Amino acid sequence: MFASLKNIFAFFSMPQKLRAKGVLGMNARNYFVIGKYNKRSLYPLVDDKVQTKKLANGININTPHMIGVIEHQYEVKDLLKIVEGHDEFVIKPAHGSQGKGVLVIKNYQDGIFTTASGKKLHFNDVYQHISNLLSGLYSLGGQYDVALIEELVHFSDAFQNFSYQGIPDVRVIIYKGYPIMSMMRLATKESDGRANLHQGAVGVGLDMQTGKAVQAVSHNMPILIHPDTQADLMTLKVPFWREHLLIGSQAYEMTGLGYMGADIVLDKERGPMMLELNARPGLAVQIANGRGLKEAIKKVDKYYPQNLNAEERVDFVLNNRF
Amino acid sequence: MKKIFSVRGILGLFLLLATIYASVATYYKIKHWGFSYKPTERSDVWTVDAHISFQPIAGQPIEVSLASPSVGQKYKILSEDVVAQGYTSEKNVKNNRIIMKSKPRKNVQDLYYRIMLYDNADTKGKIYETAPKKVEKPKFEDEYQEGQIMDLLALADRKEGSSPQRIIRLLNEEPLQPEVDAFLPVKRTQQIMAEKIIYLLAVKGITARVVRGVKLSENKRSTPADLMVEAYEGSKWIPYNITTGKAGLPKDFITFQRGGVSLLDVTGGENSQIRFSVVKSVISSFKMAGRRAKYEDSRLFDYTIYNLPSLEQNVLKWLMIFPLGIMLVVILRNIIGIQTMGTFTPMLIAMSLVKTGFVSGFICFTLIVGFGLLIRGWLTRLNLLLVPRISAVVIFVIVIMQMLTIFGYQLDYKILATAAFFPIIITAWIIERASITWEEEGARNATKQIVNTLLVAVVTYFVISSTYIRHIMFAFNEWNIVILAIVMLLGTYTGYRLSELKRFAPLTKEK
Ligand SMILES: Nc1ncnc2c1ncn2[C@@H]1O[C@H](COP(=O)(O)OP(=O)(O)O)[C@@H](O)[C@H]1O
Ligand SMILES: [Mg+2]
Repeated sequence: MFASLKNIFAFFSMPQKLRAKGVLGMNARNYFVIGKYNKRSLYPLVDDKVQTKKLANGININTPHMIGVIEHQYEVKDLLKIVEGHDEFVIKPAHGSQGKGVLVIKNYQDGIFTTASGKKLHFNDVYQHISNLLSGLYSLGGQYDVALIEELVHFSDAFQNFSYQGIPDVRVIIYKGYPIMSMMRLATKESDGRANLHQGAVGVGLDMQTGKAVQAVSHNMPILIHPDTQADLMTLKVPFWREHLLIGSQAYEMTGLGYMGADIVLDKERGPMMLELNARPGLAVQIANGRGLKEAIKKVDKYYPQNLNAEERVDFVLNNRF
Repeated sequence: MKKIFSVRGILGLFLLLATIYASVATYYKIKHWGFSYKPTERSDVWTVDAHISFQPIAGQPIEVSLASPSVGQKYKILSEDVVAQGYTSEKNVKNNRIIMKSKPRKNVQDLYYRIMLYDNADTKGKIYETAPKKVEKPKFEDEYQEGQIMDLLALADRKEGSSPQRIIRLLNEEPLQPEVDAFLPVKRTQQIMAEKIIYLLAVKGITARVVRGVKLSENKRSTPADLMVEAYEGSKWIPYNITTGKAGLPKDFITFQRGGVSLLDVTGGENSQIRFSVVKSVISSFKMAGRRAKYEDSRLFDYTIYNLPSLEQNVLKWLMIFPLGIMLVVILRNIIGIQTMGTFTPMLIAMSLVKTGFVSGFICFTLIVGFGLLIRGWLTRLNLLLVPRISAVVIFVIVIMQMLTIFGYQLDYKILATAAFFPIIITAWIIERASITWEEEGARNATKQIVNTLLVAVVTYFVISSTYIRHIMFAFNEWNIVILAIVMLLGTYTGYRLSELKRFAPLTKEK
């Protein structure tokens, strides 16, 4: 009887223990952080990927080049004209989230679209997909959406052995312009090539100074080896680490959001690129790092200088360990 | 940090004030309007008719004075009426009498005094009063009479009980002892018996008086007033039944008059008599509350929901349960941390379950969603656009409901006939979302969300279907303000959710 009770408690943590660890809960995130530092009027800047991209281009943050935008149903038939000269591209909903409705075309030839997973689509299928997308199937709350067509990212081989299919990306959490925590998300068989932790992807916490793995989790449990590729996750190190952090840091001036997550992918030729920004980044990054966000936030409030520019902030993070 | 404390402070103060207000309002409603915590829909009301009739004396102005029942005992007055055509009537509050006056009249007069009373658990027949004047011992005419009385009292002392009880029991013995038979006159009306008892008590030095009133019993027609004898013992008057000697005012006894004052005085008339009729009726407790408020001259009641026509009342009764359900949703989401499909979807399902009944509703809902998901799976392959697709699902849901209802009726399967109670659009959205979640996040996540949603719906159902809770939320609807304050305070809860204690547990594990 007592043994089984103890077992149940083993799954739970006492609130004071979490507090001591500086873990940020959902309510506290919404109240103290998002509610305080993220003005509602700024949300559209990051909820609309077209706008984010335009802003980023304005201050020379690397993003995949935009090929075109389809806003209305009658424009869908012009798709072929828009993508003329590109044999690979990505179609995605400007207001999408969690990878919903993202169509990655690896090869387009003779009227056949080949997706990243090898599926062959005809113009009709793609037409249908874009129509669905425009009607709001993938957008938050189901309102009308626009289709963003952009260049394909050629992922660096650096992580080839780590991710099972799919594209690994780095999520950097930025508080008041300072990158405070980050993780790399690796797709697994179970997550079906997607990089969302709750769908079974692996999260690897990254050291803020070096970009090296500190620990990895799958389904909230610590692991050392990727379940599908068997790669030793502890050897993972993100190249161009400073550039990664710089993208996140610059996003602060760009959007004015005091708290956000930046999703950054590494392109073979063009280096780190910002894929999207998120004004309500999830809390899983804490589990991947084994470290609480509240604690990190407190340190920024207490010790980090206030009037630095993006470059100086990144250097401050790289050179100071608290 | 500081700001939240002041926000919390304001909301805390709001909660405090709301609680005080709600408590006062609840107290007022119970005290003055007779509301009850228990969901009793109806309450007993007694209508007592006093019918006065007399023959006017030609040429004389008429004045009728009737003792009116004293308030503040077991029963309370709900309404009071005089039916006397051409008479002026007024209530003499000081002497507690109803006075009716008229110019001289000719024919036999019939006047009615009607009161409506309701149960009011209060005094238990013991009326505390300042000590009356000590009774004067009656003088005996001769020694023979004195001997006769003393013998009677000696006989009485062999009976059981207190002095009044002994005397009453002696005088009502069956068969009577010869001494008693000789003492009592031939005509033994209630009035005479009461007088004899009082006389004998006076000999013993005990002050006593007559009590007149009506014992409430169903369908009493045209009976004379009931009599009791009250003796002053210790520091209080104790009433006795004049045939059984039982002490205390019977449960249903309404006192009109006590002591020397008369029950009815008629000047300008003769052969007056008074007869009582009693009718028991049942009215809705809220209607009764309205009557009480009116009797107390309170305008407040007019502006409550209880004064509305019953159709509107029923709609509001239904609405008054919402805030509680909403609070539950807030707690389950922000404190427990259960993820459901749509914020208020579980509550809407719960409300449908209240209408259909739990088991049948649950089975029926599962069937609708099950069939719906099958059809939706097939729709996926057709690759329809969003709006037409969800519209198709809506129509399919309607068709499924119709089929279930028809089959339910034909097969005499009541469970299925409840299908039509579920909100069509909501059901269609549940199907749509479940299907999308299924496709995108896998069967596990979709099932988890459906199960969570149903779980929350069931919990909500059990709260809002309880007749007790529903009655309280309607009768004491001021508590909704308290709920509002609580919900707003919950909006400042920044602690961990219960689910997060599990989610973040790996963070606190020592490696
Ligand atoms: N330009 C691109 N090239 C290659 N893959 C992409 C591209 N854009 C998006 N993806 C893939 O789609 C996923 C989701 O895209 P993202 O822009 O992050 O949208 P969402 O807001 O839905 O997460 C990415 O994690 C990546 O795997
Ligand atoms: Mg993304």
